[in-house]
Amino acid sequence: MDNALGSLSPESLQSLEKLSPREKQELGQMAMQEVQKVQIQQTIHSLTDMCFKKCITSRISSGKLDRSEEPCMQNCVDRYMDANMTVIRHLEQLRQGS
Amino acid sequence: MADPKQQILDQLRQQAALQNARALVEKLNEHCFERCVPKPGTSLSSSETTCYQNCMEKYMAAWNTVSKQYLGQIQKGVGGGSAGAFGGM
Repeated sequence: MDNALGSLSPESLQSLEKLSPREKQELGQMAMQEVQKVQIQQTIHSLTDMCFKKCITSRISSGKLDRSEEPCMQNCVDRYMDANMTVIRHLEQLRQGS
Repeated sequence: MADPKQQILDQLRQQAALQNARALVEKLNEHCFERCVPKPGTSLSSSETTCYQNCMEKYMAAWNTVSKQYLGQIQKGVGGGSAGAFGGM
């Protein structure tokens, strides 16, 4: 999303300057929401990348996820979130301890 | 002329969608090339092509499963990430 502003057309950039301060603020908030969505999508990409590597290990003979692959992918996401929480909790403890 | 705010948002969304599609294709190719073409020959064999087709579908299925699972989790508020709950993804 770094280049998002650069990707706006010149006309849009021009009309950006004509917006009222209130409109600018509204636009900023909505743009932030878009940024959050992009961040979520990036997480989904990296989770799919990681979990595919871990869960799809046998020969690829069908386009569907089989009976063991599907739950493995789901568990992989859930355990990643658990692990993430563990890190956050641990850091929190360290912060309070000092 | 259309609402300039809306126009800008549309452009951002379009850009994000493009980026999303590009990331998917890139990752999919990375995994499937690794899995289906272990020793590149002079052309893609028919078994490699079949493997690639299955692999693409499988990777997209995996992506969908991860999406559902991850969005479900963050909507429950698990994970403590910065992301709030919003649907329509």
